[in-house]
Amino acid sequence: MKNYDILIIGGGPAGISAALAASKFNLKVALFEEKETLGGQLVKQTHKFFGSKDESAGTRGIFIAQKLINDVNNKDNIDVYLNSMVLGYYEDGVVTALVKGKMEKFKPKKIVIATGAFEKSLPFENNDLPGVFGAGAVQTLMNVYGVLPGKEVLMVGSGNIGLIVSYQLAQAGVKVKGIVEISEKIGGYLVHASKVRRLGIPIYTKHTITKAIGENKVEGAIIENIETKEKKQISCDVICLATGLMPLSDIINQINCEMKYISELGGYVPVHDDNMKTTVENIFVAGDTAGIEEATAAMLEGELAGLYASYELTNIFDNRINEIKERLKEFRKTSSKVVSGLKKLNLYNDFTVNSQEDLGKLHRTGIPEKESIESNIPKENKRFAIIECYQKIPCNPCVSSCPTNAISMDSLNGIPKLDTNKCIGCGNCVAICPGLAIFVVDKESVLLPYEFLPLPNKGDIVEVVDREGKFLEKNIVLNVRKMKDKTNLIEVKVSKEHINNARHIRVVK
Amino acid sequence: MRIENHPILEFKRTKKVKFYFDGKEVWGYEGESIAAALHALGIWEYREGLKTKRPRGLFCAIGHCSSCLMEVNGVPNTRICVTPVKEGIIVKKQLPKGDLVEKL
Ligand code: SF4
Ligand code: SF4
Ligand code: FES
Repeated sequence: MKNYDILIIGGGPAGISAALAASKFNLKVALFEEKETLGGQLVKQTHKFFGSKDESAGTRGIFIAQKLINDVNNKDNIDVYLNSMVLGYYEDGVVTALVKGKMEKFKPKKIVIATGAFEKSLPFENNDLPGVFGAGAVQTLMNVYGVLPGKEVLMVGSGNIGLIVSYQLAQAGVKVKGIVEISEKIGGYLVHASKVRRLGIPIYTKHTITKAIGENKVEGAIIENIETKEKKQISCDVICLATGLMPLSDIINQINCEMKYISELGGYVPVHDDNMKTTVENIFVAGDTAGIEEATAAMLEGELAGLYASYELTNIFDNRINEIKERLKEFRKTSSKVVSGLKKLNLYNDFTVNSQEDLGKLHRTGIPEKESIESNIPKENKRFAIIECYQKIPCNPCVSSCPTNAISMDSLNGIPKLDTNKCIGCGNCVAICPGLAIFVVDKESVLLPYEFLPLPNKGDIVEVVDREGKFLEKNIVLNVRKMKDKTNLIEVKVSKEHINNARHIRVVK
Repeated sequence: MRIENHPILEFKRTKKVKFYFDGKEVWGYEGESIAAALHALGIWEYREGLKTKRPRGLFCAIGHCSSCLMEVNGVPNTRICVTPVKEGIIVKKQLPKGDLVEKL
């Protein structure tokens, strides 16, 4: 039997953050991960994260994961158990685990459960055919193993996962035939939606999938307008389900923690307080297991659980505990779903969410209204940034990236405002923006972010396209700035009439 | 099919190894999941549904849905999405519940 101060189950972003927090107090920490590598789903996230600078905003998930993993490996007081599945929890506090195929016993003082989540399926005819994959599986194949999931994909669900994975599929060279969304509005962040629309990917709101076509493999899908019942056949070899996640609670179910069904948090979640303590003494939860949220919230929750469990052991109260609670609140300021779920746990009782405005056409199509586009264009004739970010989301790296302080925002969840007099058109904000929502427009050129291959060269003729990926004209690349983080900046010549609509380029071979 | 060039990622591929799928010689990179290697070769059918007898393939790829159970080196119900490829392993499509007899 091995003794530990804190034993953490799950080596994803929440679990790692918990381990790192506890290691600060020189406690003996064990971190269990079922798979061969740490990092959980974070290692598949090639996109840049939202949030503020403190939470590594503007950094790609894969790089955040790498840093967390390195930090864990550099700590002598964290024992990492890879390929090790925690099997049981017993009333006397003993934990059993299969460590590299051998059963071992552990006796920790505190346990943090951060086992993550599991992909929900969706009922439709033939949903068992090979080729119907969860979005996580698609990400694993293409971003971990570099294997193409298929040639043509239909995405189901327009939440952040559906939008981001569609974009990643396009980056890998896969054709995304469309994104199906049952509700009338796009579920994820609208800057992500605009990103995929620029690639020419349609978003079918008020549609659902009714059938997968094929004998032994997917060959297509039937989608249906839920109002008009009009059907449409789409040929594809993969149907990717991004219809939501469910907390994984296999271990929690063995412990007599009180559980509650909260649909806003993804299903059954362990009842916990604002220090991530469950109803059972010494048992903490963090991350998606505690309720489905974004990875940033998972890292903060993990750190919180780790710090609070350490406090109970050492009596040393780290002020970071209160700081994290504030950060979480700021982060959840616009997430009405998560907050209403937390209220059902008796948390966030007197917390009010900033109401999300209905952004009309943008919310339904991913393309902003004509008026909002025009409101961005200043009167004076000069080089300046155009910020097409109209929704309240917890994000602000554009503000600090600007050397002339031309961008302002009233809070993390505010909408960025540009002072065109101060803007010198340097493009720093274009490079950092995780939403790829900023462009620099000059008299006869547009500077835009480009994350595809092949990268054009200066002097090449490329196709200039609009916000829906529609061809506008062919024109010449004036400049290419290769960036270390791989959001390269392309400046393309654009004729005056198209300057306010040119938002992406296609490189034609 | 494999991604050769990616705008963001670099894939660290280890050594190529041979293994067997339903008697045929196939290949993958050592250490990647069996599912990834088979998928890359266009093999998407891994077992037969318990009640439906219909083909089943990958679904979650993180070891939680049991959609990808196959027989690996005689051991049935192996989750090939979390089991690494090794030189010479014998992978077989699994009939409903799998069969241990062959191993004995
Ligand atoms: S282009 Fe440069 S100066 Fe203008 S807002 Fe962006 S960062 Fe600031
Ligand atoms: S414009 Fe600013 S607030 Fe909007 S997504 Fe980009 S960095 Fe974030
Ligand atoms: S695909 Fe779900 S367990 Fe392997």
